[in-house]
Amino acid sequence: MVTKDDQAMAWRFERVAGPYQGPTGGVAWDGEAMLFSVPNEGRIMRFNATTGAIGEYRRYMNRVNGLGFGADGDFYGCQEGSRRIVQFHPDGSTTTTATWLDGKIHNYPSDLVVDKAGRVWFSDPCNATPAIGIYRPPLDHASVLRLERDQGAWRLVLVTRDTNAPRAVLLSADETILYVSEGDSRGERNCALRSYPVNADGSVGPYEELHAFGIDHRGAHRGIEGMCLDSGHNIVACAGSRQSGPGPLVYVFSPGGVVLETRPLPFDMPMRCAFGDADLCSLYVTSGDGGVYRAKTERKGLLKRQ
Amino acid sequence: MRNNTKGQKMHIETIAPGLERLIESNPPFDRVVHGIQFGEGPVWDRRAGRLYFVDILGNTIWKWTPGVGREAVLHPSGYADGMTLDRQGRLVVAGCSLRTVWRFEKDGSLKTLVSHYQGKKINTPNDIVVRSDGSIYWTDSRGGLIIPGMVPVDCQPYLDYQGVFRLSADGTQVSLLIDDCESPNGLAFSPDESVLYVNDTRRAHIRAFDVRADGSLGTGRLFHRLTGKEEGVADGMKVDTEGNVYCTGPGGIHVTDPDGNLLGRLKIAEHCTNFAWGDEDWRSMYITTHESVYRTRVKIPGVATW
Repeated sequence: MVTKDDQAMAWRFERVAGPYQGPTGGVAWDGEAMLFSVPNEGRIMRFNATTGAIGEYRRYMNRVNGLGFGADGDFYGCQEGSRRIVQFHPDGSTTTTATWLDGKIHNYPSDLVVDKAGRVWFSDPCNATPAIGIYRPPLDHASVLRLERDQGAWRLVLVTRDTNAPRAVLLSADETILYVSEGDSRGERNCALRSYPVNADGSVGPYEELHAFGIDHRGAHRGIEGMCLDSGHNIVACAGSRQSGPGPLVYVFSPGGVVLETRPLPFDMPMRCAFGDADLCSLYVTSGDGGVYRAKTERKGLLKRQ
Repeated sequence: MRNNTKGQKMHIETIAPGLERLIESNPPFDRVVHGIQFGEGPVWDRRAGRLYFVDILGNTIWKWTPGVGREAVLHPSGYADGMTLDRQGRLVVAGCSLRTVWRFEKDGSLKTLVSHYQGKKINTPNDIVVRSDGSIYWTDSRGGLIIPGMVPVDCQPYLDYQGVFRLSADGTQVSLLIDDCESPNGLAFSPDESVLYVNDTRRAHIRAFDVRADGSLGTGRLFHRLTGKEEGVADGMKVDTEGNVYCTGPGGIHVTDPDGNLLGRLKIAEHCTNFAWGDEDWRSMYITTHESVYRTRVKIPGVATW
């Protein structure tokens, strides 16, 4: 049988940046260049897709991982090492957001997505590396949280109440669905991709499990660490590892969770992904080996920025 | 161990002969303030007979008067940290998250003394001391930019180093004295001001710098390396009138002789952050911890604050 996949163009991933010290993290396309974070180096880099030049966008960032733009160009990062979401401003300054939830500092944000209203949804898992300063225990839950403006000041809202290790977060194109990658694979649990219906008041309903990752004698298969939307509103996600399961892959899920295709990755521990380049048809993937990889695809990214 | 009213205890751990000359084996240990989040910045005001201190995360500068108790002086305080008094008896503040060094004027107004160095915003002033010529020395670490819970006006570091600065007595000239620290914290002059001691939290050591007549510093030498596995780090540091150096560290407050030999430790169950010499004879120690302020007595007077 010859499937559509067999006829499709190969995705040839080539390293365009790195390797850096430690994994590369969040990625975000700014319309001209791909911004990516190097958490362990405390840096955010900017890869100019036209010239190939790599510059430093920010330094001395205390382990910023996930990155994301809002529709109006607001730019945010998950500062794991300081347990907060920060906002980067064009003048080079960086400001903080709300960090207290019910009298405690939230955990170690990992990934974020900004909705059309400018609210910042982010995963807030625990982290093996403690933050600097006074040890403050994590919350008794690891959830998806949301930052929203209240009379100009940031306010934190609890979104999910049933996650144990949320990793990647994404909103559907119409923002009626919150996709969450659950990374808890302890015991008999598998990593999974969940979809939560988003209610009009911003709360979420019970989730559906769109996809469950497997487990074999080598261990649980690594779940989704990063995901983005293509122009067909499909979920493009990077997951897996060489440790167990089918290996490092890019998955393309339909909005309802059908696996449309998978693409093998020539490097281990894929982290985050985003479409970029002038035609938005290149997929950029960050990696556990500290590289940033790019491949031309026949898919096109969904550009959120106006 | 002598009991105090609340049952908190301090244990005097003798490591080398000589400690008994500095502190009796069972000194009083009284909690004078409790219920704060992050005590720091203690300084005794001999003119008014009271203690000033801060609650960093509580965002407040407090004063404590014997027989009266504590009263708020300033809230919000910009997460102010170290404090001292200048020759005129004005409170001079390491402004931490405000990213300034500032002063309470006699009329109650607040005056910013330093905010930039060579056109760049400084980091977060941590601790501060005034020399007899009226010049101000402070440590400038990044702690206030990255510690969870701190809310700096701008959390972006701009300087490529963390070190020690000096503001000339006339307030016109800022000099960078040390630029090779990892996380500079406590600092104190020897009794004759010929030596400036500077500690480094992450390196867990104290360095000694010869002070030139013009106030600049010679090359630093390792004075003492902190040891111990208990909770606690190099933070607040003061010197007594015989040149013995007292520095917070694992387990409490470490006492070394003028040659840097460890004599013993004042072991305190809470996480000690700093202390001030105080009372009319300068033979009291007002010790700040995360939650409390304690008072104990020593045999050798500390170096008086102006």
